[in-house]
Amino acid sequence: MTNSDAFEFPPDKERIHRRAVMLEWITLAYMVSAILVIYVVLGSSQAMKTAWVEDILSLFPPTAFLVASRVRRRPRNNEFPYGYHRAVSIAFLVAALSLLIMGVLLFYDSLTVLIAAEHASIGVVQPFGEPVWLGWFMIAALVYTTIPPVLLGRAKMGPARALHDKVLYADAKMNKADWLTAVAAMVGVIGIGAGLWWLDAVAALVISGDIMKDGAVNVRAVVKDLMDTAPTRVDHSGTEALPARIETEMRKFDWVSDVRVRMREEGHIFYGEIYIVPRDERNLVARTEQARTKAENLDWRVGDIVVTFVTDVAKGA
Amino acid sequence: MALLVTAGACDFPRDPEGTLDRVRGGVLRAGVTASPPWTLLGPAGPHGIEVTLVEQLAAETDATVQWVEGSEESLLAALELRELDLVVGGLTSTNPWAGKVTFTHPYLTTAAVVAVPQGAEVPQDIAGVEVAAEAGTEIAGLLEKTDARVRIVDDVGDASGAAAVDNYLVDDLDLVDTGVRLAERDHVWAVPSGENAWLTHVERFLLAREEEIQNLLDEVAP
Repeated sequence: MTNSDAFEFPPDKERIHRRAVMLEWITLAYMVSAILVIYVVLGSSQAMKTAWVEDILSLFPPTAFLVASRVRRRPRNNEFPYGYHRAVSIAFLVAALSLLIMGVLLFYDSLTVLIAAEHASIGVVQPFGEPVWLGWFMIAALVYTTIPPVLLGRAKMGPARALHDKVLYADAKMNKADWLTAVAAMVGVIGIGAGLWWLDAVAALVISGDIMKDGAVNVRAVVKDLMDTAPTRVDHSGTEALPARIETEMRKFDWVSDVRVRMREEGHIFYGEIYIVPRDERNLVARTEQARTKAENLDWRVGDIVVTFVTDVAKGA
Repeated sequence: MALLVTAGACDFPRDPEGTLDRVRGGVLRAGVTASPPWTLLGPAGPHGIEVTLVEQLAAETDATVQWVEGSEESLLAALELRELDLVVGGLTSTNPWAGKVTFTHPYLTTAAVVAVPQGAEVPQDIAGVEVAAEAGTEIAGLLEKTDARVRIVDDVGDASGAAAVDNYLVDDLDLVDTGVRLAERDHVWAVPSGENAWLTHVERFLLAREEEIQNLLDEVAP
């Protein structure tokens, strides 16, 4: 049995991972500030409320990533013989599901506001001795939440790909799309100011639709993950070529007659089995080592791989 | 969008139903329900602090006030449907109609306090102290929740010893505030939801009159 517990990242990836952890801490700190800023000026705009909830929900993915990056390093033990990698997926499922449910609730809420023709009221505040329409402060707060998430999202995209981390990728993608929420909320507030009360509810519908979409996409991805789907590329653009590459490499051994590789993802580490039909039954233990070493050296993501000999690959995978 | 913001900044926010434009130079339909000293009803029409203020608001808006008297519920229901432009009557920010109608920013905060006669010893704590409260009032109920000994009276003005009263009556009754607060009340007016030009117009009017409102309150006799 290989000791894949000690192994999480090769040195170059370890550096990228540290950067990703730092970026996620920055994201958390920034989002908390954004949530507070929006809360102060919340008012009765439906779009503002929806954007605020989305900001709160966007705390989940970075938290899932940061918790996971600690938990998954825990060594396997008798109680968890396969280690803790899957904790990441479970955390992500909870986050994605809450995103989806909140999206649906907010969509319904906004639709109710629109149908009931509830007009949002925004009055004046007097923080500096002069009365100012609160809407201006709302727009200022929304401007604060427009640009930084986009930059953070872009900065996280690279590490997400390099680390093959789907939580990080989903988070980066959500951040990148976050400006849309802020702009939609601004349109809602400006709509209220312009006497177009319905624009607020419509903006809220757009934002809640976006939350629902994020939730649905992520629930789908993580459920597939938990179902042990064949490894996919981090951006879900297709299946990962690694299992096929391992098969090709195995065929290069002159003692291999046929081979089948089956793999699944546990976080960013691939686990799996290599089923080999040998030409003869000599030196099987040495050959096992040879095959496994070859596979493990092929890609840093190959974690715990089992080599087993069969008479027919169809009886294996 | 920046262009839209700057272009519209001068007359932002606007009313979806044009309340401010209609009231300006026209009629201000104001609902009033009795809640002394804020509003009182009489044969000569309504009067009181808030009534005075509404008349001032109308004068400033070149409007004449058309008073509609009724219960709080009937007035707020009419306001929700925009049959009224304003409702006054000692309303506070905890009013359950929030959401159906809009309440202005609080223009004044008052408190229900425990006070003692001038010259009397000010207790550190009201536990066990006999405190008078007027029968059938919220203050009496709030006092019952404390560990003071409650004495229900018909008129708190006639009571001797410690009494639970609104803080603006403390001086008039020759009492001294003990610093014990039973409740705070943020006073507001009600306007129709979403009429933001009108809402901000009313709010600016109230914000500019902080001192005057305090003076009106000081003139109140119990």
